[in-house]
Order: sequence, then C-alpha cells, then structure tokens
Amino acid sequence: MNSDDRPDPDSLLRAIQRDEAKKKRGQLRIFFGMAAGVGKTSAMLRAAHQQKSEGIDVVIGTIDTHGRKDTQALVEGLAIIPRKKIDYKSTVLEEMDLDGVLERHPQLVLVDELAHCNVPGSRHLKRYQDVLEILDQGIDVYTTINVQHLESRKEAVEQISQISIRETVPDSILETAAQIELIDVSPDELLKRLRDGKVYLGDRAEAAQKNFFKHGPLTALREIALRITAEKVDKELQNYMETTQTQGPWKAAERLMVAVSHSPYSERLIRATRRIAYNLEATWIAVNVNTGVVLGDEDQAQLLKNLTLVRELGGELLATTDIDIPHALRRIARQKNVTQIVVGRPTRRLLRNFIEGGSLLDRLVRESGDFDVHVIRQESAGASRNPWWAAVSIQAKLGDYWRVLLILFCVTVFSGVTEPLLGYKAVGFLFMLGVLGISLFFSVGPVFLGAASSALIWDYFFIPPRLTLHISEKEDILMCAVYFITAMTTGWLTNRIRARERLLAERDERMTLLYEIVSDIVKASGRSDFVDAICARVGKALAGDCLVLLKNEDGKVIQVNSRPVDFVIDEKENAVATWTMQSGKRAGWSTETLSEAAALYIPLLGRGEAIGTLVYKPRSRKKLGVDRENLLSTVAKQLAISIEREIFEERAREGVRLQESERLHQTLLNSISHEMRTPLTAILGSATALQGEVSLSEGSKAPLLLQEVILASERLNRVVENLLDMSRLSSGVLQLNKEWHDVQDLIGVSIQKIERYLRGHPLKTRIEEPLNLVEMDFRLMEHVLSNLVFNSIAYTPDESEILITVHKDNNWLVISVEDQGPGIPAESLERVFEKFFRAPGTPAGGTGLGLAIAKSIVELHGGRISARNRGSTSEVSGLRVTVELPVGNPPTLQGEKNEI
Amino acid sequence: MKSKPRRLLIIDDEAAVRRFLRLGLEPKGYLIEETTCGKEGLERAASFVPDIVILDLGLPDMDGIEVLRRIREWSKVPVVVLTVRDLDTEKVALLEAGADDYVTKPFSLIELVARLQVAERHSEGQSSNDPVFKSDRLEIDFSQHAVKLDGKAVKLTATEYNLLRILALNGGKVVTQAKLREEVWGNIGMEAVQYLRVYVGLLRKKLEDDPSQPRLILTEPNVGYRLAVGAITQ
Repeated sequence: MNSDDRPDPDSLLRAIQRDEAKKKRGQLRIFFGMAAGVGKTSAMLRAAHQQKSEGIDVVIGTIDTHGRKDTQALVEGLAIIPRKKIDYKSTVLEEMDLDGVLERHPQLVLVDELAHCNVPGSRHLKRYQDVLEILDQGIDVYTTINVQHLESRKEAVEQISQISIRETVPDSILETAAQIELIDVSPDELLKRLRDGKVYLGDRAEAAQKNFFKHGPLTALREIALRITAEKVDKELQNYMETTQTQGPWKAAERLMVAVSHSPYSERLIRATRRIAYNLEATWIAVNVNTGVVLGDEDQAQLLKNLTLVRELGGELLATTDIDIPHALRRIARQKNVTQIVVGRPTRRLLRNFIEGGSLLDRLVRESGDFDVHVIRQESAGASRNPWWAAVSIQAKLGDYWRVLLILFCVTVFSGVTEPLLGYKAVGFLFMLGVLGISLFFSVGPVFLGAASSALIWDYFFIPPRLTLHISEKEDILMCAVYFITAMTTGWLTNRIRARERLLAERDERMTLLYEIVSDIVKASGRSDFVDAICARVGKALAGDCLVLLKNEDGKVIQVNSRPVDFVIDEKENAVATWTMQSGKRAGWSTETLSEAAALYIPLLGRGEAIGTLVYKPRSRKKLGVDRENLLSTVAKQLAISIEREIFEERAREGVRLQESERLHQTLLNSISHEMRTPLTAILGSATALQGEVSLSEGSKAPLLLQEVILASERLNRVVENLLDMSRLSSGVLQLNKEWHDVQDLIGVSIQKIERYLRGHPLKTRIEEPLNLVEMDFRLMEHVLSNLVFNSIAYTPDESEILITVHKDNNWLVISVEDQGPGIPAESLERVFEKFFRAPGTPAGGTGLGLAIAKSIVELHGGRISARNRGSTSEVSGLRVTVELPVGNPPTLQGEKNEI
Repeated sequence: MKSKPRRLLIIDDEAAVRRFLRLGLEPKGYLIEETTCGKEGLERAASFVPDIVILDLGLPDMDGIEVLRRIREWSKVPVVVLTVRDLDTEKVALLEAGADDYVTKPFSLIELVARLQVAERHSEGQSSNDPVFKSDRLEIDFSQHAVKLDGKAVKLTATEYNLLRILALNGGKVVTQAKLREEVWGNIGMEAVQYLRVYVGLLRKKLEDDPSQPRLILTEPNVGYRLAVGAITQ
C-alpha cells in the first residue's frame, strides 16, 4: 500500500473530535433561502411536524408568521414556549424566552430568523448566540436564515439589492450546522408569490418590488445561495473523505495570512481572505502588527471590531510587535508556513514610501519569493476615514494649542528684547529651541502649529522688512524655508521618539504589574490575601474596581475579596457572573453578551471548567483598548492558575484530614467491636457449652433458662452490629464491595441467620424468576433483609405468616417483606426510616436503628425503600416494606445443556 | 469416639474465651494447652505438637495471620481461626494462607466443635482418597461421576458435577470463591464469579428441597461455599 494514500492522523483525529463534539451538542439544522418568501419557515414547520410524529419532543422557541395564513396553519399542533416580554424605552417588546427553553429542555426547538438582533437588555445581543447556548445544552435547533444575513456575503448582497443590511450572523455558524437545507424556488415563482401577497403585505410588498424583488437581483441572490450550499456539501464531502480514506484529490496544505490594522478597510480584507481560504479548504491567520503608533479611541474600537471579526469568521489571530510591518509579516509567514498573503492595494503615501523603501505591497513582493500575494482592491476613493489632520486633531486637547501659542508669545517677547544684541538671524535659533521644547511636551498637532507659527512670527517680526511676511534677501528666504522644514522635522521626530518611549514605558509598566502580581501570589499567605493585592493593583492600573468571584461546591457565587470594594454585586450582576462561570465565556460590559451589566466579567478558566470570574468595573464607560484587554486576560489567566492550585492544595489537605479521621474512626470501631464481642463470645460460648451438659437432667428449667441467655446475647450482638453499621454508614467511610449476586442466595443466607428467632412465624418466599443476578454488597444487603424480617418478627403476633417476595419491574428488582401484624399508623409511615424513630404504640424492644440502616444501605446501592400498610381491615392487615434495586446490565452467560 | 485424647493448642489473649473453651472442649476429649500471644503460640506449636490449633486473630504481639503463615512454614496441623463478622476479606486471606476453617464471634460451642471435627478429619486424609462421598442424603461416586440424592440418581451437567465434586472433596469445609473458580473454570477472571453464582443456583435447584432455604450448599457471604455434611457415614 502506498503510504501517500493514508489520511493524515491529525485530520482523522480532528474528524473524530468533530463527530464527538457534535454528539454531545445539539444538532443545528438551517433552512436557507435566497430571500424572504421562499418558504423557509413553512419548510421548517413541516419538518418539525415530521419529527413530532416520530415521537420527538418539539417546541417552538419563536416564530414569525408575518401574518401568512398557510404558515399560521402549520404552527397548529406544536407546543409554543411563550415569548418573554421585555420593557424597552417604555414599550414592551417580545423576545424568545431563552431560559424558558433551557428549562423546558425539549429535544428540538424551532427558532425562526437566526439573524435577528435581540432587544437590548436580553442576555445576548444576537439571536444566534441564544441558539449556540441552546445547542450547548444538547438541544437540537431548527432555524431559518437568508443569504444576505451571512457576514461574508453582506457586501455582495448590499451591492445587488441596494439596501443596507444590519442583521448578520458569522459564517462560522454554517459550519456548526449539521445540516443545511436550501429552500429554492425560481425567481419567477417568487415574484408571483409577492404579487399574490404571500411574501409581504401592503406597503412593504411595494417597497420590496421597487428594490430588489426583480428578476435580475433575485437570480444573483439565488446563485449566491446555491454556491454557499454547494460549498457546505463540498466541505462535508471532504470530511467524509478524511475519515473514510476515500481516494481523492488531497490538496497540499495551503495557509493564508492577512495583516489586520485599525483601518475599516481591514474588514474587507478579512472577509476576502476567509472566502479564498474557504474555497481552497485552507486555514488562515490574521496578524496584527503593533508598530508603536498610539491609536485614538475610534481606531482602537475599529481594531477590536476587526479582531472580533477574525474570531467570528474562524481565523487564527496573532499579535506581534515590530516597527517594520513587512518584516514582521515575513517573519510570521515563515514561522507559520504561510503559503499565501492577502494585502490591500496600497494607498499613495509617496514621501513615506520613499523613506521606508517602497509600499508594503512592493516590499512584500520584492523581498519574498516563498509565497503568493493576493491584492484586494480598495473600496471607492474617499473612504479613507481619517485624513491626516483628523488624526492630528484627535489626540491633542484644545488647551494644548493655547499653551503652545503662549510659549511662542514668551519666546517672541524674549527675542524682541535680545534681538538688538544677537541680530535677527540668531533669533531663529531661539525659536528653534522653543519648538524643540514644545515637541518634548505636546503631541503632533501642537508641535506642527508651533513650527508653522514660529516660522511666520520670525518672518513677520524679525526678518527684514519687518512687520511684513515679505522677505527681501534671497538667503533669508532660504533660511526661513530651511528653518520651517527643520522645525517641522525635528518636532515630528522628537514627538515620535517620545511616543515610542511612552509605549515602551507602558509595556514596561505592564510587565512590572505582571511581575508584581506574581510576587503578590508568592508572598501571600492565603487566597484572599493575594486576590486583594492583585485586585488593588489591577484596579489602580486600569482605573476601575476589580474583584474576584468564585464558584462554591453548589455552583453558587461567592466573593473572595476581603477588602471592601466600591462596586456592589447585586442580583443582576450576580446573574452575569453565574452565566460567565457556566459558559466559560466573557460577558457584561463591552462584550456582546449581557452588555447591559455595569462590569466586565472574565472567566477564570481552570482545567476543564471555569472556577470563577474576574470582575472589572471601569470608572468611565470608555472602551478598553486592546492592550488593556490583553492585560486583563493575562491577569485572569494567572489568577486562574494560582487559585486552582490553591483549591487543589486545599483538597489535598482535606484529604489528609479525612484520612486521619477515618483512621481514628476505624480504631474506635475496632476497639468497641473487640470490647463488646469478647464478653459476648464468652457468654454465648459458655451457655451453649452448658446446654449440652444440662439437657440430660429431666424436668430441669435450666435448658429454658440457657435458651434465654443465648437469645439475649445474640440479640445484644445484633445491637452491636447495628450500632457499628450505623456509625460506619454515617461516617461516610463505608465502601461498597459490589459483586453480582443471586437474590435467592441473599434470601437463603438471611433466613439461615434468622430462622432460630422465628418463634413459630412461618416464613415463606416467593421468587418470580429463579435467577436474579444483581450487583450488590452481599453482606450489607443481607443485613437489610434480616433487619426487615426481624422487624416483622418483633412487631407481629407469634405464628403469623411472613412473606418475602421477589419480582422484576422494568429495570428494578423489587424485594418486599410482608407481615400480618397491625401495620403502622399512616402518619408514622414516612418517619419509620428515621434514625431512632419508633412508631408510637409499638411494643418495647429494638433500638429504632434497623430500618434507618436498611435505608442507608439501599440508597448506597442506588435503590429505594418504602413502607406501606397492606390494608386496614381485619382480614388484610400488616406492613409491606419494599426494597427496589437497580438491575443494571446483568451479564449474559452461556448455558450448558448436556447432563451426565 | 476416640480413645487417644487429641492435643489442642489455643492461642488467644482473652482469658474469658480461653476459660470457656477449656471448660467446653475438655469434655469432648481434647488435651488442651493455652497460650496468650503469638510468639509463645509459635513456640508451643513446635514443642507441644498439637493435633489441632485454635487461633484468635487479634493478638497483642503479632497479627494472627502472621502466626498462621509462620506455622504453615513447617507444619500442616489443622488451624481453625476465631474471627469477627466484618472482616470478610481477612477471612479469605486466612483461608488462602492455609487456615482450615474459621468461626465468627460470637459462636456457639456446637458450631466450633463441628468445625474442629471437619478440620481434623481432612487433615487425617480420610475423605480425600475415598472413591465415594456419602453424607446423610447425598452420595457421590467419583469414579462413576454418579450423584444420588436420597438414593435417587440426579442428572448434572459437567460443570455442575465439577462444582459439587470440589465442594464434596472439601466436605464440611468452606471453599473460597477463588478456588472454586480456578478449579472448575480454570481461570480467575471476573466473569467466572457470575458463572459461579449461576451454577450454584442451578445445583441448588436440583439438590435442595427449597432453593431459597438451602440445607446442602451453604453460602459463606463474600468468602465462598460449604457443603453441609451433617452426619457423615464413612
């Protein structure tokens, strides 16, 4: 066999993992169409009816019939979870009741309009997030979506239909779908439906007809829809080939890379990259290179948006720091075996390109022979959102400009005073000094203002002819021009150096902070100690309040900080914290989940599950920058590791304590059992020895008396055993020694132990099937059964019958002990299994432990025990105690037929 | 029954138990020697040369099972152990270490004497070479593979017969589950435990009057099974 035929083990593993993940999660089925009105909702409802007829528990989460009668008719007969009413700006809006769905936990939920945006105040911003959560709970979902709602097709559809689209879902949702069903009708048919009023009603129909409900656009939309479905089928085919080793065209592993900046144009690049990658069945990476340029708030937000888009579209995200972007891209491309790079068409920045040795594209193409470069066209001109002056004006405050002018005024006055001494040329140096000073303290805008206006002032006041902008001497013109350029350049350069220094200082600060956090943890004596210290540090560094919430054993949220924090976790915030811990995902402020919350909740992810959450409540509502988000993530990671380690240590200590107490317990038990059993052995042994001696002498009462001694000591022995068992059971140290046993054997042994105490009670057994193998601890179950029979003996008249029956009821083996005694008053029935409880009016004797022990043991076996009066008439009376044990999967054994 | 007194060594630290054992067993024809600790017990086992030993598990100086192992290093003298209810795993360990049988405290003298007698009989090798096993109701002809109950032939499958044969060869003595599994099924896998339960059930169905109240094949919980011999006719 040719070794090249073998599928890559990694891809096989991935395929298997995919299958497994799918099994645990609910399955998503998407009904997909090119436009409204193709009949997605009807198709979904029909499929739901089909499922329901097969016995699947189907409910409607939310459905919008748009008043269409035939659709409305299909809703009939399906259970609906009432929609939740949400108050929003004094109107009441309705949304799908997510918690209601989760609580109801059906097998299948119908959720119409996947791309819908939820009313603010709902848990998630978008409905598709609700659906993902439902799927996580193992519930299947049917949903509908139109082609224009897919993130990556948004622009194409916008161009075709000339309408702007707000509601979108990430394309990755298509990949999570187990099944995509394309609902396809021809454009003619659809247009006919529109005319018949089956798509939109009234005005909307007219508006739609004006826009895209025309033959041309519909055909284009249909093509996109068909192509997406084909892509999905293709992907599935490839999955199939990966697992089944079908010989097919194995492609060389392609990997794409795209550079992402804070430009809105990046979105387009990202979408393009994903599209190409998808068609090539390749993976793709997005790289953000931090060149040290300080970004404004808007740019930060755009960058975050771009990075989120990468995550949503399923790309791998990398961040790196480098002054030289092409260099950084080449470095990462080589590290990650990238084969293709996607870049945008370069903008025209001639001067800078000249200084840096060509545009990004030129340099990438020139300096790299190993990969293909895709160039994606820019959108129409003028889209550049930030002209240079905008960038300049954003960062400086208005006051800075006034201060610069003030400085220049001072310099001018000083120059005016000293000019007669120095001459007008030397004054230029004073101004240069001023500009340098300005560039040390102010940002680019004020520096440019300073450079330009100082040149003007110098020219106006000092260069002859004075008080004009005119310059008479040719060399003065040159000098003033050179001054202006020099002032601008030095100002700009100094400023850049300062910015970089500030960046370094910030990075340094972050490193210091992380270092301090680690040392906090090392130094701290306990968890709340270092949590306090870290929260204080992070709160100070990020201008907000920080605290840590952990999950206790019951899944409840507990606060760890011992120092008071300004921010109070109320019920609403508590719910966000709980959600974060359950889902292991971020939530709250500045995220897309429960974003109404006042604080940001970052899960502390331990091994396997979230152990708690880091809460950050900002003092201002300003969005967090990428740097700060990263910082919070790093802190959360560090905290998670440290807290989990603490928890493990605690558990280990707890384990040692338990072991110690178990040892003590065992010692105590051994000593009691020895101290009580030894005299009992002597009493019983002596009595039985004596029995043999005295039985010969006629007419003596001695044999009867001896019999009493023997019975009494045996009863005492039972009390000891019951006490020991009870104490073992309640200490929790008891371990079941479970094996497969025959119930008949259990009954036999129990009877053998009891029969001497029967006092004339006939004991009968009725076993439905001769062989009932059940997994149990034989010794303990024998104790249960004999306790039950002893009870019947003790509390029923002598010579009344006791019956033990065994039968199977589905997956339970039912053993019951019935007597013909007076039974137990109905009000006491519930309590007979309580420790030391004795029903009022029962004859003396017994510790009230027997049934309590029986209950504990049965429950340890995963079974249940109950007591019932058989009847209250004089003919039928008595108590029936029933023990039910789970049958489990008894082994099937091969029989043997030949007898000898 | 026997003229020559049998020599019995009791190793037990509890005076009360020792006293009643002496009082109860001397009339049954035993010559009794008592020791109170393991070390002394081992010495006496060598010097007194007992025919049978009663060994208590809880000794002050060493573990009863250790005493048993040391005795077994050089002697085949039958040993009956006094133990308590909750130590099933220890019972199995004792039997595997070479104890002949055990009684659970508190016990009646009758029970103890029966165990002693069975142990002695097996050590004398009387029943093992016998081609025929006979108790009051059951008769097994090992050479013919024939089983009779109350004089009537009983048909058994090969496995059932094997199981019964091993119990009969150890007539009256407890046989551990592990031993039965190994001897009848030849393996010690967990599956054989269930086979053992099933075949004991089948055997009881053919031999017992009421299988849920067995008189012949008795269960020793968590330890093994014992074939009741009652009065054995030799």
